[in-house]
Amino acid sequence: MLLLLPGLVLLLAGFLVPALIMLLAPPDTTTGEVLARLARMLTDPYDLTIIGRTLGLGLIVTVTCVVLGFPIAYLLARSQSRWAGVLLAVAIFPLLLSNVVRTFGWLVVLGSQGAVGQTLVALGIVDEAPQLLYTPLAIVLGLVQLFLPLAVVSCYSALAQVDASLDEAARGLGAGRARTFWTIVVPLSWPGVVVAATLVFAGSITAYTTPYLLGGSRQRMLSTQLFQYSSSTIDWAAASATAMIMTVLVFGVAALSSVMGRRARTS
Amino acid sequence: MNTRRPVAASLAVLGYIVMIAPLFFVVITAFTAGSTVRFPPDGYSLRWFEAAVTYQPFMSALASSLQLAVFAAIASLALGVPVALAIHRGKIPGKGLLEGMFLSPLIVPELVVGLALYQQFMIGLGMNNLTTLAIGHTVLMFPYAVRVTGASLALIDPAVEDAARGLGATPMRTFFTITLPLLRPGIFSAALLAFVTSFNNVPLSLLLQSREFRTLPVTMLDYVQQNYDPIVASTSVLILAGTVLVAVVAERTVGFAKIFGGINR
Repeated sequence: MLLLLPGLVLLLAGFLVPALIMLLAPPDTTTGEVLARLARMLTDPYDLTIIGRTLGLGLIVTVTCVVLGFPIAYLLARSQSRWAGVLLAVAIFPLLLSNVVRTFGWLVVLGSQGAVGQTLVALGIVDEAPQLLYTPLAIVLGLVQLFLPLAVVSCYSALAQVDASLDEAARGLGAGRARTFWTIVVPLSWPGVVVAATLVFAGSITAYTTPYLLGGSRQRMLSTQLFQYSSSTIDWAAASATAMIMTVLVFGVAALSSVMGRRARTS
Repeated sequence: MNTRRPVAASLAVLGYIVMIAPLFFVVITAFTAGSTVRFPPDGYSLRWFEAAVTYQPFMSALASSLQLAVFAAIASLALGVPVALAIHRGKIPGKGLLEGMFLSPLIVPELVVGLALYQQFMIGLGMNNLTTLAIGHTVLMFPYAVRVTGASLALIDPAVEDAARGLGATPMRTFFTITLPLLRPGIFSAALLAFVTSFNNVPLSLLLQSREFRTLPVTMLDYVQQNYDPIVASTSVLILAGTVLVAVVAERTVGFAKIFGGINR
């Protein structure tokens, strides 16, 4: 098919082939060296801390985004108010906005001269503004802000397809509000929740801007470590090994999510 | 909000605070009269806006970012629309696999793509960073073009195209007089998404930057590391204003929610 050809060339030459070469045989090293480095990373305490931090924070961010995003999507999808459209737009709008701009806000809020610290001092709760930047909490806040809109969109599109009259039917048959929610609303919109969780988790464990600005060198994650290896220390084997770990994690999550999505559809 | 569902409503309010509050503080800081980012600000003025628009590194980076984003949007559509057509209209085997392959740049971590291009194109083949960035951004925006135009193509009834061909129109003529006009909202959405995503991109642009050609987000990121003054806040507010403008145009033409519905996997 002639139409496919230019796109296929771009994809192969500009992405798939370079990515494979980089993972398996980066400059000045061999595949063996990359694999040896990979094996060392999976046993070295320092590297394991970074992998653990990346996965742990990713998990916290994912749970938080679903717990906050699902109610937003649910209330917006069921609301009759004309404000619902405006609120939905407000929730989606940040997806268009630069991550640098969004993350910079937390420097203003959490910095030593920032809003939170100065308020605590002014209220006399603490004498000196606490160190809030470069902590795991800062990274989590930044990533939740970054990915919450994505969770809202995914949950909303699933909830919008669930007929609201099903809720009413359950309620009419005597189910309480909570029971209706857990037996009708959640199972029917589950695929949307799975999509939301997948996008947020994959995004969180590979995001760069937020951990760089809010975590700094004190709270390294896989992404900031990868950049360090490839720009400052120029350790190609380590960079490739880190890239491999990130790629495998993301594909693993995608595979897991497709299994969970399928199970939801058949049950 | 909804007072009959107190738990859901409080979680939703908390969610909105996390999403919006930091931006609110950026806006306040941008109008400070003082010379540091502190809260509350030392009086109000527009001096940092003046500083932002006269700060040469940011303005030349803005020009670079705009050029790159326009190029990536056009190039990814020029290559992506034919692919979407082939997948949704052509008779080719393995369509699912093919589509998955074309969407794969969305899944592979961006830093990994950036590192690959940096090693193989800039170091390996000695390409300059402008060419590499142009290729890289096009590769990254390509899935948006395939996915979003594909989604809107799936909504067009093939019978309309068959009818045109039945009446004697050539495939070429059918495409330009029937398919393309019906596809226009989809193409617009894809172009907008690609433009915005390219404009905001950090990981790829960071790895492929050079002193001569840097994008705005990367320049701002570097600046924040070395200086901590309100110029970044006022630049952020200008970007915010520009983004609101893009959002309003998007809402008027295609509808905001629809644009993002298209990329949801």
